[in-house]
Amino acid sequence: MKLSAKTVAIVIGCAVFIGLPLLFYGLGDVPRRSLLKEVLSVLTLLAFSLMLGQFYLARSNEVVLELFKPPEIQKVHKFIAYGAVIIILLHPALIVLPRFFEAGIKPWDAFVTMVTTFDSAGVLLGLVGWALLLVVLLTSMFRMRLIKRFGIKYRTWRYVHGGLTVTFVVIGIWHSIDLGRHTDVAMAIYMITLAAIGTLMLGQLYWADMSKTVKKPLPKGEKS
Amino acid sequence: MTGLHDAPVPSRREFLALSGGALGLSSLGLGAAWAQNKVELDPAAITNTDHATDVLVIGGGMAGLFAAVKAHDAGASTMMISKGRLGSSGLTPFAKGFFVYDPKTETESIDAFVDTVSRSALGTNNPVYTRQLAEHSLDRAAELKDWGFFDQNLANRSFMKPVTDRDIPLIERVVVTHLIKEDGRIAGAAGFRLDGEETVTIRAKTVILCTGAGGFKPSGFPVCDLTHDGSIMAYQIGAKITGKEWNDGHSGRSVNPADCYNGWGDMFDRVPSTSGVEVHHDLGVDLNYQAYMKGNPVAGGPQVATDDPVAGGPVTPEEFVRSFPAREGGPRDEAGGGPGGPPPGGRPGGPPADGEGGAPGGPPMRGYAMGGASAGMAIHKSEGLVPIDDRCASNIPGLYAAGDALGSHMAGGIYTQIGSSLAGSAVQGAIAGEAAAEFAAGIKAPSIPDTKLAEVKEEILAPLKREAGYGPAWVTQTLQGVMIPNFVLYIKKEPMMRAALAYIEELRDHHMPMLRAANMHELRLVFETRNMILSAEMKLRASLMRTESRCSHYRLDYPEMDTENWQAWINIFKDAEGRMQLVKQPFAAWPRQT
Amino acid sequence: MTINSINGCIGCEECVKSCPCDVIRLDKETGKAVILYPADCQICHLCRMYCPVDAIEIRPEKSIPVVVSWG
Repeated sequence: MKLSAKTVAIVIGCAVFIGLPLLFYGLGDVPRRSLLKEVLSVLTLLAFSLMLGQFYLARSNEVVLELFKPPEIQKVHKFIAYGAVIIILLHPALIVLPRFFEAGIKPWDAFVTMVTTFDSAGVLLGLVGWALLLVVLLTSMFRMRLIKRFGIKYRTWRYVHGGLTVTFVVIGIWHSIDLGRHTDVAMAIYMITLAAIGTLMLGQLYWADMSKTVKKPLPKGEKS
Repeated sequence: MTGLHDAPVPSRREFLALSGGALGLSSLGLGAAWAQNKVELDPAAITNTDHATDVLVIGGGMAGLFAAVKAHDAGASTMMISKGRLGSSGLTPFAKGFFVYDPKTETESIDAFVDTVSRSALGTNNPVYTRQLAEHSLDRAAELKDWGFFDQNLANRSFMKPVTDRDIPLIERVVVTHLIKEDGRIAGAAGFRLDGEETVTIRAKTVILCTGAGGFKPSGFPVCDLTHDGSIMAYQIGAKITGKEWNDGHSGRSVNPADCYNGWGDMFDRVPSTSGVEVHHDLGVDLNYQAYMKGNPVAGGPQVATDDPVAGGPVTPEEFVRSFPAREGGPRDEAGGGPGGPPPGGRPGGPPADGEGGAPGGPPMRGYAMGGASAGMAIHKSEGLVPIDDRCASNIPGLYAAGDALGSHMAGGIYTQIGSSLAGSAVQGAIAGEAAAEFAAGIKAPSIPDTKLAEVKEEILAPLKREAGYGPAWVTQTLQGVMIPNFVLYIKKEPMMRAALAYIEELRDHHMPMLRAANMHELRLVFETRNMILSAEMKLRASLMRTESRCSHYRLDYPEMDTENWQAWINIFKDAEGRMQLVKQPFAAWPRQT
Repeated sequence: MTINSINGCIGCEECVKSCPCDVIRLDKETGKAVILYPADCQICHLCRMYCPVDAIEIRPEKSIPVVVSWG
């Protein structure tokens, strides 16, 4: 079978954003728990790595832009976004979910203890990150209305979206390094590397955009 | 032992504590400084916090909860102090059966119930306390239900409810080491914090010991935080102690015997529930006898009763002999489980020999039975302070005890009514709380001279100030090696007990005064070790004195019950010269007050 | 080896408080629970059951030799 460039890109994407985290999960020396707990762990890990993958399903990634049509990319970006964001938003609840099925502290009591442990930097980061992610979700869902309501340019919204997500990812990784059961050194390096490259690509795009804007303003009416 | 490759490397001190007994220390080539006490804190910088209250409740289990709540409700200023966490220390967290006498559903009268218990206990029970249990259990269960105790398997939250509702001050993680007596009555208590460099003194008009019973930090029973602390503190200031010759006969599994959680099946996972009248005579020690006579291994469970048992040994009265149909794997689910209460209180099938024994709880692995799971513990409610009345008072004015710290002999020297230990702790706690509040209302606050407090603080901190000494973990292991073998603690005979007593006296006279501690955790171990040494001495002396076999006390050299000389309990106290004295107290009589 | 590992600790101290035998302490620098005195673990699993994030693993072996009544 002759592999098309598209297929190769998809395989690489899957390998990097699904295969690698699974590999690090598998190699980690954290004791295994029940099937439900392991499934929830893997789900949360993949949600986060796929969210990091979003940096690579954007206009900043020229390789992808060359291979796929923008609506295609946008569709995948949206699909992953809503799925992953919902899992990440739910993951505090997923942590206590198994307590419904086993002895020990009740799920709601566990949840309250968890989100009120303000002594912990990791918990505070998690709370801030959670709120930020909610903002990312809402602003993305209602971006058209926001743009209309506040009369901002689409490009400005994009900067806001990029800025919010970069901030979220920094906080999220920090939170994960501090508290993540499966965030060992390998997993941390993996996440930091992906986030760093993604951010740099985004920065490059914005930088290019801005230089273009300064040097040669876009003609009126032209969409970005 | 498997899994050691993953173990954190023990510190040199830990290593020595673990291996010092077995290996010649000189062969380790570690030089002369091995016993040096490398103190991790500055004992001179340890501060003291002073509190005052009408009623001080020591202990945060079932008895302590009710003692504090009822003392508060009776109008006394009340304070709780606990070595661990409320509802998460001692045996309370593991007791799942709560006996309730509900007149609406029971066919038997309370009189008949008390008679049945007395018959099973062969007279060793105190019928006043047995009756009290039946009379009050329903009310206590109703209160616990309101607080949510029967809604989940962990007790802390439900226990916190009445305490926070009433704003009762609660100090957790304080090890109380001393009771203070002034002018012939109780004046307070003192101890130290595990988490801070601080001693704690509490001036109190009355003190209720809800400190549980204890053991020799055995393997297979979650009693390793209980070392008879209350009894020993009380003994030191002149209280009388009883019931030390009785033996809890729980056995564990031969594979990973210390794994309490799995050894008990799903017991620790269970949500507590109530149970009605069901009186047994659950020995446990009959398995010890089979093991002693036949050699090992001994299969646990019903086989013991049916597979060619050796004649003789501890006897179950005819009326209470139970037969066990053969069954597959799983535990026989008696709501509330075995007799007794905390573990037994909820444990399906009761002590070893009657079913779950070999592998308490049955699944997941039955395996062979291993004796001594609860070594050092007597029958619940049989050992502890001698009550001088029906309201949990001790012979020291103002000092009360409830639950396993009170030698009420509620069940007798044997497990009789299932689930009664947990219920009994609740019932007695409430009664002691009200009695103590009443006593406190009529008296002035005691005054403790500063010199006395300074003296106590000095005693508490002494092990931290020793430049060298014996590690408490090592002394404890030595004690375990002397006391836990089947032929010492369970299948008793005079020469062997005399030999063990010689060892224990050596520990008492030579090691106890030289225990060292490098930090607050070790300081706790020091006092626990001290308490275990004195408790071991009590157990041996009481067992030597009781020249008969009855209930859970079995003498190979006196295998018969002696109704002529031994219709009596044994009370232990410290005489004016500081020696341990033992006296008989006839069954069904209160001790004479001098 | 009794209480074995703590992964994903949030430093809430529930395990420290609920351990009857004072096996676990909070490391003041990292703000996380550490297994400081494993030899005193009675393998009762209360710490695991109180942990809100289910971070604690316990193995059935005791870390020190055990003394039993017969063998």
